[in-house]
Amino acid sequence: MHQFLAMARGPAKHAGRLSVLAASIWLAACGGAGDPAATETTADSERTSNAQAVKPQGTTRLDAYRLLTQASFGPTEAEISRVTGLGAAAWVDDQLAMPARAVHLARWNADDAAAKARRHNDSAGAPSVISSFYQQALQADDQLRQRMVFALSQIFVVSLADLGNERAQSVAGWNDMLARNAFGNFRTLLQDVAMHPAMGQYLSHLKNRKEDLVIGRVPDQNFAREVMQLFTIGLHQLNTDGTVRVDANGNPLESYGAADIVGMAKVFTGFSWGGPDTSNERFNGVEGWRDPQRMTKAMQGYPQFHATNEKRFLGVTVPVQATADPAASLKVALDTLFAHPNVGPFISRQLIQRLVTSAPSPAYVARVARVFANNGSGVRGDLKAVVRAILLDNEARLPRFSNGPTYGKVREPVLRLTAFLRAFDARSDSGKVLMVSTDDPGLQLAQTPLRSPSVFNFFRPGYVPAGGEAASLGLTLPEMQITDESSVAGYANFMRYVVMNGIGQKGVDGKAARPDLQVDLSGEVALADQPEVLVDLVNSKLLGGFVNPEMRAEQLAAVTSVVIPPLKKNGGGQALIDKAKINRALTAVTVTLVTPEFIVQK
Amino acid sequence: MTPPLSNPTRRELLRRGAALGLTQPALAGLGSLGLSLAAMGPAAAAGTSGYKALVCLFLVGGNDAYNTLLATDSASWSAYGTARNASMPDSIALASVGTPPSGNLRSPLHARLGGVLPITPQTSQGRTMALHPALAGARELFTGGRLAFISNVGPLVGPTTKAAYLAGTAPKPPKLFSHNDQQSVWQSFTAEGGTRGWGGRMADLVLSANTRSMFTSVALSGNALWPSGLGSRMYQLAPTGAIHIGGPEGTLFGSAVAQQKMLALMRGARNNNVLEREHAATVGRSADAEALLATAMPGAGDGPWGTGGLGLNQPDPLLQYLDPETGLMMANPVAQQMQAVARMVAARGALGMSRQIFFVGVSGFDTHDTQASRHTRLLAQVSHALTYFDSVTTQMAVSDRVTTFTASDFGRSLAGNGDGSDHGWGGHQLVMGGAVRGGDVYGRLPVYGAADGKGGFNSDDQLAGGALLPSIGVESYAATLGKWFGLSDTELMDVLPGLAAWNPSQRNLGFMA
Repeated sequence: MHQFLAMARGPAKHAGRLSVLAASIWLAACGGAGDPAATETTADSERTSNAQAVKPQGTTRLDAYRLLTQASFGPTEAEISRVTGLGAAAWVDDQLAMPARAVHLARWNADDAAAKARRHNDSAGAPSVISSFYQQALQADDQLRQRMVFALSQIFVVSLADLGNERAQSVAGWNDMLARNAFGNFRTLLQDVAMHPAMGQYLSHLKNRKEDLVIGRVPDQNFAREVMQLFTIGLHQLNTDGTVRVDANGNPLESYGAADIVGMAKVFTGFSWGGPDTSNERFNGVEGWRDPQRMTKAMQGYPQFHATNEKRFLGVTVPVQATADPAASLKVALDTLFAHPNVGPFISRQLIQRLVTSAPSPAYVARVARVFANNGSGVRGDLKAVVRAILLDNEARLPRFSNGPTYGKVREPVLRLTAFLRAFDARSDSGKVLMVSTDDPGLQLAQTPLRSPSVFNFFRPGYVPAGGEAASLGLTLPEMQITDESSVAGYANFMRYVVMNGIGQKGVDGKAARPDLQVDLSGEVALADQPEVLVDLVNSKLLGGFVNPEMRAEQLAAVTSVVIPPLKKNGGGQALIDKAKINRALTAVTVTLVTPEFIVQK
Repeated sequence: MTPPLSNPTRRELLRRGAALGLTQPALAGLGSLGLSLAAMGPAAAAGTSGYKALVCLFLVGGNDAYNTLLATDSASWSAYGTARNASMPDSIALASVGTPPSGNLRSPLHARLGGVLPITPQTSQGRTMALHPALAGARELFTGGRLAFISNVGPLVGPTTKAAYLAGTAPKPPKLFSHNDQQSVWQSFTAEGGTRGWGGRMADLVLSANTRSMFTSVALSGNALWPSGLGSRMYQLAPTGAIHIGGPEGTLFGSAVAQQKMLALMRGARNNNVLEREHAATVGRSADAEALLATAMPGAGDGPWGTGGLGLNQPDPLLQYLDPETGLMMANPVAQQMQAVARMVAARGALGMSRQIFFVGVSGFDTHDTQASRHTRLLAQVSHALTYFDSVTTQMAVSDRVTTFTASDFGRSLAGNGDGSDHGWGGHQLVMGGAVRGGDVYGRLPVYGAADGKGGFNSDDQLAGGALLPSIGVESYAATLGKWFGLSDTELMDVLPGLAAWNPSQRNLGFMA
């Protein structure tokens, strides 16, 4: 099998062999028994060390394809070769070693300056942030870090849907912050999340003031509530494996109550815009006291607005402060949250859901949560170790898990788009990757990066689709929350359009002839008169080559139904032939992008 | 964290499956076998003659009930003004009855809106009441007897006193004050992870009365729990109408066969994977429904719900509302959804429908900050959408057969936090339609207390921050609607088991004729 796989890396050259090859790989993958990886490690007890879980060498094409679907914005032939050469573990380590780059804010500032040069008062706005996200997702070498940024942006949610064009710069800085912390320590990430002005504006603790007993004002509870419910510990006490702890009557044990929220809300008072002083004017953002970098500078404490009375939450107490000390209160709050036993399983399970599978086994969650608790060197919250544990776990890597009937995740629409664009080597006409919002479920993707409809993300980790098989199994499938009768039609129609026309803004000024991102289908068009080879090439790019024969037959029927007319005796008709060849290539790609096989990542 | 299937659901599924001789593994693969649970549904409920529809208008994020329906008697108004820092420029307090709108565009929005709009309910409860100034349309409906308010409704495990709640002796609904969970509890009586809403449970009972039963539960704003049942699977309809997969010409890149194959590939599930089957099944429903609606559902301009002869992308003036802040006419996303409901109701004959439920959602009610602007805009949209829908259903001569009611995550705190409010519990709801005993406020309007200096309020109706302790459970609200919809008392008990905790006189709130 390995011989075949080496050949499969150059699909165009060896295209004639691919149809046979694809079918044989598919059979082996489904059977599981023939896969060498399956016999490497049979013990999947919770304590299997990850170092032994996957052998460093001998990574198959299937595993490379799967790993890159989990850990990047879509496999490319070059990256598949790299993984098969290095092995999964070495590839992951290679990715983890790449340093973070702060690119989003710099791009936004440059775009903004260019916009203002074109027209006074114009702004780079939200489109620059979305474009910058896609530029990294599609082109960056540090794919795993970028993918982790996307995952973190869906746990620690701020949204351009609310922050809008005028506060988009804040979100550009936010993305750099997530990238900086993606492989860092969770405690630092939490600090930066809590103090970032994008979050401060989004969950309204920026400019939040202490209580006023005279007029009866109480502190805003918004961030205090969500930092517990969504960013750290969740509503229920959890076992290490992510299952809910229950009392003697079987009722879930709650992890905090209303009093904890009241106490925590006092902590998040007296924080506002960063700058050189802590005047009332700067706190309120009065004109003349606005730091030029305030949209991305960490918020700072303003003692005069910070609650000084006793703050009790989660079993700890910040005593009365004779002198208000916002930083001291904050430290107790975040240290307490970080030390809470829920954080490991709560965050680990969600990261597994974003990268690997929607309903991970409790044992898998527990293995990762233990790494969160201790990276092996006594460090808690080491996200680098956590990501490594998630991706190199047996449940992520071995076909005997991934062949299970409830395994995998519905690819998020954004990830379907990026997988398509990367597989077909999409190029940006402007060089800037000018992307647009794709929110509309009926016409687009029902998802745009960094434009969640609320702090609860596009979908919930606990979502179980109603009425069908998943409901009867109690299966959490978050992405199904944005999958409905309208969105599936919208997706198919949108992708048909994108395959044909490309995607993105038509140039910086909107006046270019075509959308900014264009894929390269020349290899497919060249194979149009060899439908089997064409279909196998497309399947190799979009599915790693592992295709159900029944599906392949349907694809072939679709492609061959596009008739290539013969060349006329006088040599005419070439234009119609060329058009038909293009249509065959477009058909092959489009019908594959809408299959459940592509839509569900296994 | 995977929520276990609730026992009644599993039992019911197994019972129904057993009746068909299915084994448990077969049941797990129901979707793939193409079996419809509709076929196993019980006989139609007693009252499914004629046509009736329930429309749930869900105010996502937690509607501020205190600024929707207000008590204006002097004690209440004073407590309200104090808790909402009425003297501050960014206060969320509304202006008192009779305050003329400020013509100064630099004034805070609430001053520009003018005072709250007084209403005169048939039963005054010894109080005086008013509505948010953006609810002028709703107020007209109220005065005309077509709209009622239900005061202080919320999830409850039976009647609950403040003392018992504070002492921890009263059973509590799960996950109070949490958005996602309270949305779920309101819709299904279970926290996040529930799969069967009370609308869907009602729909299950009337399913067999409908020829095209797949349109029994229809949602207009994405997946929702309330309309999801066991046999009545929610159908998601785009607000502009069902979306055809593929081009209108019926070909894919020039080939009709390719178009057919694309659909076959999309809706086929060839591998043993539940996720692939779930997705493929959604595609199947999408295509089947669209094929039916393409002929059965009248166009957006083909009835009283729309303006005929509009060009492509030309906004329908009927679906525009006056934005109180800017004074501009803006597209109303709520009215757009209501239009789709009206078009579906118009298709009832063609589809053979006698009972339907609809779910309409409007987001943005989580007004922690800049509440004045955001809440005003949203209430203006709701008010316009209700007025629009009442007019349309009246012209369609179905207004007494279609009842619209609101629900929301929760009400909000009475105490302001500066320019916003925080999560609460009980809230006031609006019910509209020709069958509604309108012009009245049902349920006792809560007593507004004063802050006790420790975060609480000295009223038996108010908890920390002034959050309302509900006096009416969601079950009673639902039962009153369900009774009108045609469910028997026995069926209501089955759909709403929590009703048992309330005495029979509390199970029907009397707002439906």
